[in-house]
Amino acid sequence: MEQKKSKLSRRGFFKAGSIIVGGIAVAAAFTPFDGILFATEPPKGKGKWYGIGIDINKCIGCGKCANACKLENNVPKEPFYFRSWVEQYTIKNDGSILVESPNGGIDGFKQTVPDQDIFKSFFVPKMCNHCAKSPCVQVCPVGATFETPEGIVLVDENYCIGCRYCVQACPYGCRFINPEKGTAEKCTLCIHRLEKGLQPACFEVCPTEARIFGDLNDPGSKINYFLKNHTCMVIKPNLNTGAKLYYNALSSEVR
Amino acid sequence: MPQQIKRLVTAFAVFILMFLVLQQVLKPNSFGKLGHYRAMAIQENEARELHYAGSARCTKCHDEMHTDKAAGFHAQLQCEVCHGPGLKHVLYADKFKDGKLPDSLKLHKPDTRKECAICHQLNAARIKIVFDTVNNSMIKQVNALKHNLVDKHTKEELKCIECHNPHQP
Repeated sequence: MEQKKSKLSRRGFFKAGSIIVGGIAVAAAFTPFDGILFATEPPKGKGKWYGIGIDINKCIGCGKCANACKLENNVPKEPFYFRSWVEQYTIKNDGSILVESPNGGIDGFKQTVPDQDIFKSFFVPKMCNHCAKSPCVQVCPVGATFETPEGIVLVDENYCIGCRYCVQACPYGCRFINPEKGTAEKCTLCIHRLEKGLQPACFEVCPTEARIFGDLNDPGSKINYFLKNHTCMVIKPNLNTGAKLYYNALSSEVR
Repeated sequence: MPQQIKRLVTAFAVFILMFLVLQQVLKPNSFGKLGHYRAMAIQENEARELHYAGSARCTKCHDEMHTDKAAGFHAQLQCEVCHGPGLKHVLYADKFKDGKLPDSLKLHKPDTRKECAICHQLNAARIKIVFDTVNNSMIKQVNALKHNLVDKHTKEELKCIECHNPHQP
């Protein structure tokens, strides 16, 4: 049998090969790829990595957190946009679920279902989950929303084009378009307070200490103590968002 | 190398060069420093104005209220839960030491039934809540729409704080 001879000579092969490899090396040196890849492991043991804990058993539904958030961050009072709000879940004896959140809970809750019809009822405070693999960050077409190295998901107001992709992408409904600025807005974990050594406003005002916040990388932090001592769960774990808002006593009805 | 390939290569080179020049001009300075975003945006977010002071700063002047409160059920409540954001008050109240504080710096003193009811109104979701910090006590529940609405003698409308001291309920 006659062996098929390659058109490419040995010299030609090395020439082409070195051009391709050298070209890639030069291009890589020109703009080094320094973007942080999504779906990576959270940084362990280096720097801060913030997490939040909410104890549903302790929440009395006073709505002080929702109110404090609006006052601290100048969130428009009306129409009803919230960075942080409280929902009352009522599971009736017939199995139906009622979710109420009148004005985000700021004005308090009124029991609308008579006692004899209620199987169980509880309050669920909600806010941004500060996901480690945020869907909202992944869909932003201009890089205006991002996760900081400390694990806080922020919006760059000056860079946001108001396309609303992130509002749609957030599975927790934690984003809205500010009617005055026309840009996306969300919980910033009060990063302006953290930087001054204070707690975020909603944690500051919680009367029952149902909200716990701290550094997940610090083994002695409040949040790690909370996680060790309670059976905690995130909302919609099936979506693999890497949510860092852990609820104690979370019922499966909560969505 | 064929003529058409040469032209194509030069065209590509020109386009890539133009792209790189435009990118340098249009890209914000701090973009890409930490990831696919402007690193400066973190500082811009941090620069925002504060409103809540934190109760550590309240007790610097009002320590008698703090000790008063520490004995009662409201011990773990931060001042600003009821009185609202107080950073302006903390920063500027010193300038008015003779007690003539302008209204804009005065903090809210909640005295209506509605404001107490926000936490204490009877609700099925509140009944089971137990605090481990205050001797396993439950939050006190009351139907604020019925509980001692009027004074029995004078027939005047009663406020919660006429009977209950909010700092020592």
